[in-house]
Amino acid sequence: MVSARTLSLEEAAPGPRHSATALSLSDAMPRLVVAARRTSASIVHGLHGRRRPGTGENFWQYRRYSPGESAARIDWRRSALGEHLYVREQEWEAAHTVWIWVDRSRSMFFRSDLAREAKIERAVVLALALADILVRGGERVGLIGLGAPTASRRAVDVLAERLASAGIDDDMPPAHPLSQLSEAVLIGDFLEPEAEIAAYVRGLGANGARGHVIAVSDPAEETFPFSGRTEFIDPELATRFTFGRAQDLRDEYGVRLRAHREALRLIAAPLGWSTALHRTDRPASEALLALYAQLAERPNEVRSERLTA
Amino acid sequence: MMGLPLAFLNPWLLLALAGLPALYFLLRLVPPRPHSVDFPPLRLLLDVVPKEETAARTPWWLVALRLGLAAFVILALAAPVLNPTPAGTAGTGPTVILIDDGWPAAGDWEARRQAAEAAIAAAESAGRPVALIGLNDETQDIAVGTGGAARDRLNALVPQPFIRDRLVHIPALRQLAGRTPGLDLVWLAGGLDLGNARPFAEALAALGHDSRLTVHMPERTARGLAGADNTSDALTTRVLRAEGGPGESGIVRAYDLRGRPLGDAAFAFGPSATEAEARIELPIELRNEVARLEIADGRTAAGVQLLDERWRRRAVGVVSGATADTAQPLLSPVYYLTRALEPFADVRPAQAGNASEAVLRFIDDGVPVIALADVGTITPEARARIRQWIAKGGVLIRFAGSRLAAAEDDDLVPVRLRRGGRVLGGALAWSTPQRLGEFPAASPFAGLRVPEEVTVTRQVLAEPDPELGNRTWAMLADGTPLVTAAREKAGLLVLFHVTADTVWSNLPISGLFVDMLRRTVALAGEATPSEAEGAATGEGAASATRTANEPAVLAPTRTLDGFGAFRSPPPTARPVPATGIPAATPEHPPGVYGPPDGFIAVNTLAPDAELRRLDLSGLAANVRGYATVEPTPLAPWLLAAALAAFLLDTLIVILMSGRLAAVRRRAAAAALALFAVLAAPHEVRAQSDQAMMDAALRTRLAYVVTGDPGIDEISLAGLRGLGFQLAARTAFEPGDPVGIDPARDEMAFYPLIYWPVADNAPAPSAEALARIDTYMKRGGTILFDTRDALYSSGSSPGGSPALRRILAGLDIPELEQVPANHVLTKSFYLLPDFPGRFRGGPLWVEALPTAEEQESGDAALVRPGDGVSPILITSNDFAGAWAVDAGGRTLLPTVPSEPRQREMAYRAGINIVMYALTGNYKADQVHIPALLERLGQ
Repeated sequence: MVSARTLSLEEAAPGPRHSATALSLSDAMPRLVVAARRTSASIVHGLHGRRRPGTGENFWQYRRYSPGESAARIDWRRSALGEHLYVREQEWEAAHTVWIWVDRSRSMFFRSDLAREAKIERAVVLALALADILVRGGERVGLIGLGAPTASRRAVDVLAERLASAGIDDDMPPAHPLSQLSEAVLIGDFLEPEAEIAAYVRGLGANGARGHVIAVSDPAEETFPFSGRTEFIDPELATRFTFGRAQDLRDEYGVRLRAHREALRLIAAPLGWSTALHRTDRPASEALLALYAQLAERPNEVRSERLTA
Repeated sequence: MMGLPLAFLNPWLLLALAGLPALYFLLRLVPPRPHSVDFPPLRLLLDVVPKEETAARTPWWLVALRLGLAAFVILALAAPVLNPTPAGTAGTGPTVILIDDGWPAAGDWEARRQAAEAAIAAAESAGRPVALIGLNDETQDIAVGTGGAARDRLNALVPQPFIRDRLVHIPALRQLAGRTPGLDLVWLAGGLDLGNARPFAEALAALGHDSRLTVHMPERTARGLAGADNTSDALTTRVLRAEGGPGESGIVRAYDLRGRPLGDAAFAFGPSATEAEARIELPIELRNEVARLEIADGRTAAGVQLLDERWRRRAVGVVSGATADTAQPLLSPVYYLTRALEPFADVRPAQAGNASEAVLRFIDDGVPVIALADVGTITPEARARIRQWIAKGGVLIRFAGSRLAAAEDDDLVPVRLRRGGRVLGGALAWSTPQRLGEFPAASPFAGLRVPEEVTVTRQVLAEPDPELGNRTWAMLADGTPLVTAAREKAGLLVLFHVTADTVWSNLPISGLFVDMLRRTVALAGEATPSEAEGAATGEGAASATRTANEPAVLAPTRTLDGFGAFRSPPPTARPVPATGIPAATPEHPPGVYGPPDGFIAVNTLAPDAELRRLDLSGLAANVRGYATVEPTPLAPWLLAAALAAFLLDTLIVILMSGRLAAVRRRAAAAALALFAVLAAPHEVRAQSDQAMMDAALRTRLAYVVTGDPGIDEISLAGLRGLGFQLAARTAFEPGDPVGIDPARDEMAFYPLIYWPVADNAPAPSAEALARIDTYMKRGGTILFDTRDALYSSGSSPGGSPALRRILAGLDIPELEQVPANHVLTKSFYLLPDFPGRFRGGPLWVEALPTAEEQESGDAALVRPGDGVSPILITSNDFAGAWAVDAGGRTLLPTVPSEPRQREMAYRAGINIVMYALTGNYKADQVHIPALLERLGQ
């Protein structure tokens, strides 16, 4: 039979080793970006042209000077060609902000014999590696509820420090809407009641932000490898329950778990958010690649309908 | 306790067993401690848990273990004893010892002697007279005497290679029982139900006059050999046993005439089978030398099978006059001859092209029989050689035909022939097809049944001749000869006046044809003896007549004793008829009869014999084995078992309470590994059958499992993603993709196999290469993907060293990059190139024949597999682009990362699958411009 337990905060707290793992993981990714650059420049993340005038590097348009504007803005070279005064406008460039949330509830500190590491460790590694990739691509990255976004090259260290000092938090963060141009990446086990998750996710996406939900799951939670007389303990609620023949519950539990995941998908889908399941006995790079693909390309809507049909 | 020799010294203690049910209820109510785990999704679990929980009970197997523990202790205290000392026999009359001394007793003769000695000693010590009777002896009065006399008789007995009817001894025994009541009969039985064993046992049991019967039965009875057969590829023999017990294996060894071992073969009885087959696979020349088969540790006469001339297979060379026979093999005379000769002879096809050369080569090879099917002309030199060969004992069988009928001055025939032949039936003839007449009495075919349905429509005719009657072996109903033969010196020349195929008659497709050839070929062996007699013209017919009138007998030369060893024949042995007898009798003991160069063999068991164990059930007899056993107290063993059960119980309690987790895990892993090893072969076989069914019932895409889990998962996900797209866009809905191992799995079911080439991929084994080659030759397509378009230059298909390693052993056709008008570019979508995760790597296919080659007809007209290239090579990592998870989300970004490229990758995949499935269907459109142009005119 499989044994499982909840690690203490000291054992699994985010720390330098996670940063190191995340960096080595993300080190594998830039190769992809570099390789892509050789073929096409369009992969480059970061400063996206917004197709409207604003502050930026690239020329956007000449506009007639309107009275009251500062004379310093007049483009004299262009104006000398005609009778009117022109103002040179640049294209507005703004970096994407990606908001990452790592579930730090007590249930995330769970680890069974079947897994390589605790769920929280995997979630932190994923978050930091993603942050590193995004920052290298020029995006700004922030942790929801843990300070302002940063585009610093040291983002991994900064974010890891913030995570380490945050401690255990069993609640979902307050659902304040993200701006339309932001993307949210939620990494957690999402075992809370469906209504709570729905309120949180809908709150974040209220202004039209895109997002991705990654449910990190321990293999023991997926396969329910228990049998015989077993006492189950919920680490968050501290409730206990003893059952005589655990193997009898396996099928029904599997149905319930799938229903829960489907509910999660139904919460995310109307917002245009993607959902993915990641098991901790799988390599972290797998989830990171899939997430990368999701962030990098917006799949054809028609095709994705066909695929899920 | 009738069946088991078991007794209890303290039987009253067994009453305690009645207390076990009470213990059962007590144990059932004390459950073990639960195993405690953390489980975050407890909330979900609570949703599905039934509200009321059943009372915790001890698992039934634990209860059973504890009950067993208690039962062991109780049984041990009752002091059981195995094989308790029997109470001494208290008879008063003489002891009569009956010994089976037939071949079944030979194997354990020493045990029998000891049992007889023990019985004699017991009688002596009780002061009772003893009589000893060998059941194969002639019936006589029973002499009751002292133990010494009985011992002398016992020492004189040896096992005989036969079994007489035992019932002949019953009258004498009745007389003895009448004279001296209270007989103690001890029968040391051979164990097989032969020679009226059961009626004899019944008669003994019903002897009356206070006589008691004790029968000693062996645990394991003798094995036998029967029905040796020299088939076309091996010398086989049936191995028999009487007990249908567990499986058993052994070795049958073959010896030649001088007793040198030639080879051996293993046989294996299946569980509860009483018959097995041993196949001795040797070259035909060696097999013909085999004179004796023997079970390696048998030591009985039945375990020996003697072979004579009748088991030899003769080589028959077949030469046909027709040249291009291979195009239509079913119409070739060689085919009919081969099929008719195969059951009893080794057919050798002609090696040289020319008929004369082929015949000469056969003669050089020492082939004893040559069949010429419609060979018209033979060169004079060859003819002279053939005549010499016949004179030395060769048998030449000729068949007529259009060539023979047209040949001039062909004197290599038994009778003079009219040229041209005659036609019976047909549009221009009055006569009807002729049936066969009865065979002449002097013919070797005499006695064969003449089937009604055989008719002859054409034949060659013999010139009338005074010798013709003697030389005719078979004739038609109107008396014209059908088969003629002439004996020339030691050899024989036979002519069938019809063809060996079905053009002139339907004789070659009747069973009679096989029998006629069998008898003719069998005559080849007689060649040597008849030479010794001084052969003259017409001698064959004369000797045949003599054999038919007075059946020859052959005197015994050497016979077998009961142990299966040769000895000089006993005075009672009588000669056997030259035709042989199926099984030995007391008058004709098994052995070799006749002169050394023409002997026949007589075997102990008939070819269809079966061995049955003597059934003694329902008889008033005391049945014993042979081995003497000591009384064994069982209490220590039971106590040890109880202790083991106690230790096991302790261990289980500790494990169930959740402690010693690491120990348990390791033990469980070891047990699991052991179980996997034990269960693996069976499971693999069952899985492979199931996999074959699945693969055959639904079209699937397959990929080669590389052993690198990362690559394999992407392959699986990629083919799954491509399958989704195929189902959505085309009429083809593939089943779930399958991972295969070319060395093990059958590949024939899969139209397209995706083979990702890992950098460190080893070269496939030779066996795997052969299978891959077969797959590609038979129309399968393999898509190799080196997945390295970003790094490789792409100018040659074998760029990756790993791919070169794999392809090195394969027969790869010339390759080219997909040309612009190739079917692949239009089999579903119109595609300029074939991107995957990467773009820019070319796709290589088998090169199409160039226009000039097509013009000149150099290219093969019909390509295998409908023109589909057996091999496709790319470096674009198709599977990476196709890969989706179960929910349909893509797994890997493309390079460059844009949806358009993924779409193009899917289109490339669909085109490739359609190409593999539909072949050159779309290629036909290349002719449309030409067709339209022609229509316009």
